[in-house]
Amino acid sequence: MEIMVSRSSITTTGNNTGAWRFVRPVYERHTAPCSAACPAGEDIPRIEALVSEKKFKEAGEVILMENPFPSVCGRVCFHPCETACNRAGFDDAVAVNSLERFVGDLLDTSDGSLPFEAKEKNGKRIAIIGAGPGGLSAAYFLSRLGYSCEVFESEEKPGGLLRWGIPAYRLPEQVLDREIKRIESLGVKINCSTRLDSSFIETANESFDGVFVGTGLGSPIMMNIPGEELGIGWEVFLKEVKKGTQKEFKGKAVVIGGGNAAVDVARTLVRLGASVTIAYRRRIEDMPAFGSEIEIAISEGVEILELVAPVAIVQNAEQLSIELQSMKVEGQDGQRAKVVNDGDKKKSIVADRVYSAIGADVEDEWKGAKTVSRPGNRSALYNEKIPVIYGGDLVNADKSVTSAIGSGKEAAIMFDILLAEGGSKAGDEEAVKKTTAACQVGDGQSLSFEAYIGGERRNVVEGVVKFEDINLNYFEKTALKDKNSMKADLNGFDEVESGIDEVSAIYEAVRCFNCGICTDCGICSLFCPELSVLTGNEGRRIELEYCKGCGICVCECPRAAMSLVKEAE
Amino acid sequence: MQQTAIPKKVKYDSEYGSTDLLNPGHVGCPGCGAVLAMKFALHALGPDTMLVIPACCWAVIAGPHPQTSLNIPVLHTAFETAGAAASGLRAALDMKGDTKTTVVAWAGDGGTFDIGFQALSGAAERNEDFIYVCYDNEAYMNTGNQRSSSTPYRTRTTTTPGSGKVQRKKNIVEALAAHRIPYAATASISHPEDLIRKFKKAKDMKGGTRFIHIFATCPTGWRCPSEMSVEVARLAVKTNFFPLYEVEKGVKYIINAEGELPVEEYLMTQGRFKHLGDTEIQRVQAMVDDDFAFLKKKTLL
Repeated sequence: MEIMVSRSSITTTGNNTGAWRFVRPVYERHTAPCSAACPAGEDIPRIEALVSEKKFKEAGEVILMENPFPSVCGRVCFHPCETACNRAGFDDAVAVNSLERFVGDLLDTSDGSLPFEAKEKNGKRIAIIGAGPGGLSAAYFLSRLGYSCEVFESEEKPGGLLRWGIPAYRLPEQVLDREIKRIESLGVKINCSTRLDSSFIETANESFDGVFVGTGLGSPIMMNIPGEELGIGWEVFLKEVKKGTQKEFKGKAVVIGGGNAAVDVARTLVRLGASVTIAYRRRIEDMPAFGSEIEIAISEGVEILELVAPVAIVQNAEQLSIELQSMKVEGQDGQRAKVVNDGDKKKSIVADRVYSAIGADVEDEWKGAKTVSRPGNRSALYNEKIPVIYGGDLVNADKSVTSAIGSGKEAAIMFDILLAEGGSKAGDEEAVKKTTAACQVGDGQSLSFEAYIGGERRNVVEGVVKFEDINLNYFEKTALKDKNSMKADLNGFDEVESGIDEVSAIYEAVRCFNCGICTDCGICSLFCPELSVLTGNEGRRIELEYCKGCGICVCECPRAAMSLVKEAE
Repeated sequence: MQQTAIPKKVKYDSEYGSTDLLNPGHVGCPGCGAVLAMKFALHALGPDTMLVIPACCWAVIAGPHPQTSLNIPVLHTAFETAGAAASGLRAALDMKGDTKTTVVAWAGDGGTFDIGFQALSGAAERNEDFIYVCYDNEAYMNTGNQRSSSTPYRTRTTTTPGSGKVQRKKNIVEALAAHRIPYAATASISHPEDLIRKFKKAKDMKGGTRFIHIFATCPTGWRCPSEMSVEVARLAVKTNFFPLYEVEKGVKYIINAEGELPVEEYLMTQGRFKHLGDTEIQRVQAMVDDDFAFLKKKTLL
C-alpha cells in the first residue's frame, strides 16, 4: 500500500504578518552635519555618494543645485563641513573641500549649458548692486526662478572680492571667469565699471521689481595712529597686483594685522620678492586668519611678530620706522586672548613699506544695512513698492565667500516669496519666515534651493545626524589619504595648491559615512527576517503586508537613513 | 604615482542575503535570529537542498500545515530524530541515484545538545553524509523558555529562576570534534559573510558529517528589543562570548574573529542577565577568558 504523508500545499505568503506591527520602519532623509554647517547648504553626503560611484558629472550637478561656485569654493572656502564631519570622531574628517574642487573642475561649461532648466521668464526684473559672490549668487538663483537680473559693478570686471581680494595663487582668475561665465549663460547681464550709490534705490522701482545690495566692505578700517598715511591699504595693494601695476618689490615690508587679508598681503609680497614681517597685537593662535593659511605663510618665509601694537609710523630717511607697543596676555576675550600694554615696553622696526590690513568696514553709503545671522531674518526693506534685500559681507555676521553665496541664494528665495503673484504684501515677514524655515538645512544657517523648488530635499526631517547615530560596524578605519596640497612655488602667482586625482577622490568619497541618506547599500534588506525590504526604481521600500516592525533594519542602517515610527492607533 | 586600492562599495543584500527559497508571512517572532540563520544558509546552499526539521521553533516557522515558508522539501520529524532521519533521507536519495542534493538537518539547541544528541552522535560516528545545523537560541524557546544544556551560566529561564542556571553551557563543537568529523564550525547571524563562507565550504566537503553551530538571537526569550537582534549577536562575537571558529577533521582549529570588548557589554543588552551583579559578571568574564585562551591553545595543536 502507498505510504500516506501529509504534505504542505500552500505557502505562508497568505499570512498578513504585517498586522502584528505596532511600529513601522520608514526611509527618512536626515541632515548631515556637514550640510548643516555649509553656508551654501550643499547636499554633501549625496555629492560624495555620487563621487564614490564615479558619477562625477552628477555630483557636480548636485553642487550646482545649491552653489554656482564649486571650483571657487573648492579652493577658498574655509570648509566648516570638515570641522563638523562625523567621520572626524572615527578617524579623519572627509576631505570635502578637496572633493568639491575635484568635482567642480571637471564640470564642463564650454557650451554654457546648465544641468537644469530655468523657469520661464516671469517678466520681473531685479537690480543687483555689486558683482561679488553674494550678488552673482543672487543673480544665479533669481535667474533660475525666472527673474531677469541686471548686475551693476563698480570695477572693470565682475567677481568682487574673489577677483580683487583673493590672490591668484589661491584662486586663479580663469577658474573664477569660468564660473562667472556659467552664471552669465543664464542670461544675467553684468554692467561693469558702473558704480551705483544708495540713491539708486529711491528710483529703482521705475525699472525694477526688487534690489539686491551686495556691495561688500568697501572701506578699510583705519589704525588711527600718527603717520598712518605713510602706509598702504591692503585692498589697494592687492588690487594693484591683480591689475598688474605692481610687479616686483625687493625690499622689506611690514604688514599690520592678523586676518586673512594680512596673510594674503604677506604671501603676495613674498611673491613680489619682498622679505615680510607680520605685526599682530595678539598671539599667532589668536589670529583670525585660517590656521592653514598662517602655516603656509610661515613656510613661505613670512615672519610673524606677536604681541605688538603699532603706535606710530615715522619717515626715517629713505625708510619707514614702525613704533610698536609690546603687549601682554591678560585673560581671555571670547575665543581670543585679551591683551593689554606691557608697561611701556616699546620696540621699533624699520621697513621700506608698511601695509595696513586690519580689516574693512561698511562704506558710509550703506551704513543703514543691519547685520544678520539666521535664515529668514535677512532684512528686507521696502522702498514704497519694491523689496530691497541686503546680502554678502555688507550684512553677514560671518564674513566669508561661502556665506556670501548663501546669502545671495537666501535673498533670491525671499524675492520670490515677496514678489509671488497674489503672494505676500510688503512687510509680510511671516510668509518669508514660514517658507524659509521649511527650506532650512538642518539646524544650520543656510537654505536649500532644491527644497524651495520642491525637490527631494524638501522631505528631510528635522534634526542633524550625530556621531552616535552612525553604525560604525560597517566602516573600517581608513585615514585620510590625500587632499589639496601645497606645491613649493614662490615664483609668480601660479596656483600653489594642487588638487587630488580621480583615485584619491573616489577613495576619499568612499570614506564618507553619507550621514542621513540611503545609498542603497542593502544592509536593511540583508538583515530583514521578513524579506520585506524591496528595491524598486524609486529606491528601497518596505512591504507592509509582512513587515512585523522588528526594527532591525533601522538599528543596523549604517548611516541613519531610516527611522521607526508608531503605527496609528 | 603609487596606486591605492579603492575600497569597494558592497551591495550587501545581493551579495549575502538574497534567496527566493524563503517566503514571507512565516510566523517567526519579530526580530527572530533563527529566521536570519535560515535566510543566510539558503543563500549559500541554493535550491538543491532538503531539510530535516525536528521539533523546534523552526518546526513552527516552516509553516503550520498545510502552509510552508520554505520553497524546498522539508521533512518534519520527531524531536530526538534529526540525526537519524537525515541519515535515512541521505540513504534514500543515494538509492535513487541522487547524490547531488545536499541534506541538511536543521535543529535547535534542545534537539541538538539534549534530546537529539544520541541520534546526532550516532550519525557523526558513522560519518553520515549531511550537514547538521544547530541554530542556538540557548533554551527551549518554542515551549516558553526552559533551560537546555546550551543555556549559559547564570542565565535566567523559567526553569532556572532567581540567580539563574548553575551549570555552564555545554561545548557542543568540542563534542562533535571529538567524533573526528570532517568539519565543525561556529557562525553567527551578525556575520553573514562568514556564515555563508562556512556553509559553502561545508557543502563542498560532501562525503561526511559536517556540523555548523549558529548563534541565533531570540529577542522574545532573551528579553532584548527586537531591533537589537543582530547587534546582540555581534556583541557576543566581539566579547568572545560566542567565538567564531572552525575545526577541520576534529583537530585543526582556526579562529575567525577575536573580540576585545568586556563581556558585560553583551550581558547588559538582555533581560535574562539583568540580575547579575559585579561579582557574577566578573565570574562570567573569567570563564569567557579561560575558554577563549583554551581555544587559542587548540589552534596551536
